[in-house]
Amino acid sequence: MLRLSRCYSLASIKFVQNQSTVFRPEYALKCGLEIHTQLKTRNKLFSQSTNSATPLLDTPNSHTSFYDIALPGTQPELNWEAVLFAMKLSLALDSQVNTISQFDRKHYFYGDQPQGYQVTQHYRPFARGGKINLSKELDGIDELSKDISILQLQIEQDTGKSHYTNADKDVVTLVDLNRSNVPLIELVTNPDFSDIKQVRAFIKKYQNLVRHLHISSGDLETGAMRVDVNLSINEFARVELKNLPNTSSIINAIKYEYQRQVGLISKGETSSLMESETRGWTGSSTVKLRSKETTIDYRYMPDPELPYINLAADVISGVKGIMPQLPDDIMKMLMQKPFELSLKDAKILTYNSNQNDMYDHEALRSYYLKTFHEFSKLVDEHSSAKLPTNWIIHEFLGDLNKLRIPLSKAQKILPPVVFAEFLKLLHAETISPTSSKLLLFHILETFKQSKCQDLSIPDFPRLIKEFELHAIDNVDSQELIGLCNDIIVEHTDDAFVRNLVSGKKKTSLKFLIGQGMRRSQGRIKPSEFEKQFKEILNIQW
Amino acid sequence: MPLKRSLKQSLQRLSNLESKYNIFISVSSSPYKSVNKDKTSGILTDYVASIKDNIVTKDFPTTCASHILENFTSPYDATVVKLLKQAGVHILGKTNLDEFGMGSGGIHSIKGPVINPLYPHEDKMVMGGSSSGAAASVACDLVDFALGTDTGGSVRLPACYGCILGFKPSYGRLSRFGVIAYSQSLDTVGILSKKIDVLRNVFEVLDKYDKKDPTSLSDELRGLITKNKKVRKSLKIGIVKEFNLEGLPDEFQESYFTFLKKLISLGHEIYPVSIPSVKNSLPIYYTLSPAEAASNLSRYDGIRYGYRDPDLDIKDGVLFAPTRSKFGMEVKNRIILGNYNLCSGAFKNNFIKAERLRVDLVNEFDEIFRFPNVLTGAKGNPYGLDMLLVPTSSKLPGTIKKFQEEESKSPTNSYINDIFTVPMSLAGLPTLTIPLREKTPIGLQIVGQYGDDSTVLDFVKSIS
Repeated sequence: MLRLSRCYSLASIKFVQNQSTVFRPEYALKCGLEIHTQLKTRNKLFSQSTNSATPLLDTPNSHTSFYDIALPGTQPELNWEAVLFAMKLSLALDSQVNTISQFDRKHYFYGDQPQGYQVTQHYRPFARGGKINLSKELDGIDELSKDISILQLQIEQDTGKSHYTNADKDVVTLVDLNRSNVPLIELVTNPDFSDIKQVRAFIKKYQNLVRHLHISSGDLETGAMRVDVNLSINEFARVELKNLPNTSSIINAIKYEYQRQVGLISKGETSSLMESETRGWTGSSTVKLRSKETTIDYRYMPDPELPYINLAADVISGVKGIMPQLPDDIMKMLMQKPFELSLKDAKILTYNSNQNDMYDHEALRSYYLKTFHEFSKLVDEHSSAKLPTNWIIHEFLGDLNKLRIPLSKAQKILPPVVFAEFLKLLHAETISPTSSKLLLFHILETFKQSKCQDLSIPDFPRLIKEFELHAIDNVDSQELIGLCNDIIVEHTDDAFVRNLVSGKKKTSLKFLIGQGMRRSQGRIKPSEFEKQFKEILNIQW
Repeated sequence: MPLKRSLKQSLQRLSNLESKYNIFISVSSSPYKSVNKDKTSGILTDYVASIKDNIVTKDFPTTCASHILENFTSPYDATVVKLLKQAGVHILGKTNLDEFGMGSGGIHSIKGPVINPLYPHEDKMVMGGSSSGAAASVACDLVDFALGTDTGGSVRLPACYGCILGFKPSYGRLSRFGVIAYSQSLDTVGILSKKIDVLRNVFEVLDKYDKKDPTSLSDELRGLITKNKKVRKSLKIGIVKEFNLEGLPDEFQESYFTFLKKLISLGHEIYPVSIPSVKNSLPIYYTLSPAEAASNLSRYDGIRYGYRDPDLDIKDGVLFAPTRSKFGMEVKNRIILGNYNLCSGAFKNNFIKAERLRVDLVNEFDEIFRFPNVLTGAKGNPYGLDMLLVPTSSKLPGTIKKFQEEESKSPTNSYINDIFTVPMSLAGLPTLTIPLREKTPIGLQIVGQYGDDSTVLDFVKSIS
């Protein structure tokens, strides 16, 4: 059977014996990552064929041009969209974009490598330096703050894919060149990682960044993002780990390899750790793929026909000008005044979870910020920051999920200005929170019943009147006294009252108020009930 | 003016000539059919041409004279072929060559060597290569013109040996899209013909920017060249000391001096000039071109097209070795040499150094020419020259037997033939070889500054 030199198989991960790995200070882990990220450009890197967004569904070899299959006489034509994407990523990572970078050929034979070489950037990469900052606050690492520095970024071609089938005795390799020549960015970090948490946090953060920049799906599962690991312990030779199809295999492979090497070192069997080698991950252990002696010489050669990528300074500054705000900055902004979101809520507005089909985080963030802004204008004070947060991220989103209404549609009847009006009613205590919940759900449910076609903006005053949701300002005192007495009779006994009045069990008052709210359907303010209960029961505290 | 009336005759003569000189690899059974009469119009209507078999065509197989591409037919036409068809040209067939363009004798072909038709009654003489069939097809009057490719002299040497005109335009002027790469920092499509007017018309049809070729000269730079162009009646012409004319046979020297006298009588001025880096040309060329070749030929693994070993894809752990063992000896030599130069150990010492020396050579050419170089940005030397004269070869063609003997002693013996042609390839200069005698193949190259193709063509027209 043919042996792969670069295999990113989707091999299922077997159960890993989960002994908790102990990272011991006397065996210092030093680890770096090499991440390949597929760019979601419209076309491939050097040809006009489609760069498919749904690679797993495509007919093999359906997205191939004459160039992609390396027909004689074909030539590469650089796709500048890939360069733009690379520039965005470099700037987001604070990397130094080289004004001149060049393409080089990396030679090795393989069935899914139609040219016999891969075009990459070896001698003059696209960008150097840069970093991703990890922090305890945002990323949950142990250190207060840690920078993972980046060595370089390069643009290169992806290879095709080989599929192995056993037909009788023969092993047949099927080659699919749909992926051949898809643009990749290879990012290499310095070996700055010293524990697993940092690795996990980095991958998550990088993944979110490429999604945030709209340059890649960032999915490990589809192979759009692929991570290789290099690690060494106590300055022994570097070991590279490959074939790591998802985050758990990355983490488990590092743990396994750490344990393996610590075992060897503690037994004094370090001879195999003197020379660097490449190891693959089987799902439960790492196995040697090749050592230094069997590594082939890639015979890098400057590509003789592709021109240099020559970037004028104003091109780089121009791209800087169109860069979106970066996730960490957005997080910080959201967690500070005036928004003061919790970490969890800020993440909902910043990270693409790919898990909710009713909204995407960017549209939601924009809706939130606009509504917040409109609301601030109406109430003219910043003390009520919690109101937009709770009502948009929790109540409103909850309703949308429940009713299966996409945010984009709901926005049509509840644009930020209207939602701000709604919040103002709450803020002014025109309606109680309980009534508001009913009202919001009613509005959305009616909208859903119209198949999201009735786009008339809700008339809040009319609806409040119609459903008698008005909070009662001038409560009829006899009615209130009667209501409170009823509740006391129905829900209390002597011990209850004794403990409440003496202040031994103050929370009982809340219970009584809650009953009052329920009876009045939230139309009488809790403060009115509190006053009345205290008066009737003669509570002094 | 075109040979149309003789096309039938050509076809009739072809089989006779073919068995004698081995000019073609494939021939059209109906060359008229390849032209759509309605669509075509233009100055090349009804001209007959041959295409070197390393330029891809839909209507013929394209083999590069290699076992590796046996029976390969391209699904698309090279840009130059497309342009010719659009201009109404009939393509007679695909011509024999040294495998993948590697060779200067025209003998390294799966189809066997091309025999020089200038010597019908003697021992089989070499045609020169690698565009050997291209030159022979013109020399035999089978076609009005031929397209060849020139990497280090592959159009000029066989043109010289066939006593015809052979033009290697400035690098990047003619599209290479569909030209099977040997060493694409040097590969140039060239035109061979007996008549300067035909050659010029063909050049003008093909001289276009092609977006599919990343090395194609941009319209912007083409415009700049036209702007820089000055028509001069009296030219300053240089003779390069380093080419050491004194070492050439008497017969050659006499031809040159006769020619120089003619030029002086026409009012041109002749100057001696020194280009010291010329002496580095062969080492530079034989470092860079095999490296590029080794890289370009990596794609021939038999999987997607071409020959594939019927039994094995892997031998002794080496992928595709059984298929790739079918390359010819000269190609194998160059692949090995090229890979050696690209090995991480040798790369800095050889490849990088050769690239640096190539830049030095270009700079020296820039210093002696009056015309600006739009690629390097050299302004042009106000006291500089308009043209250079360089011999095309230092000797007359020998027998195929002798050529093979010398090459078997040392492969570098045949490499030395390239000394007069390689410097202009390295600098991408427009160069046209002209025959100085009618039946004796003594050729002289007219060399212009990069981009200044028209001065070269105008000059040759003025003296013909």
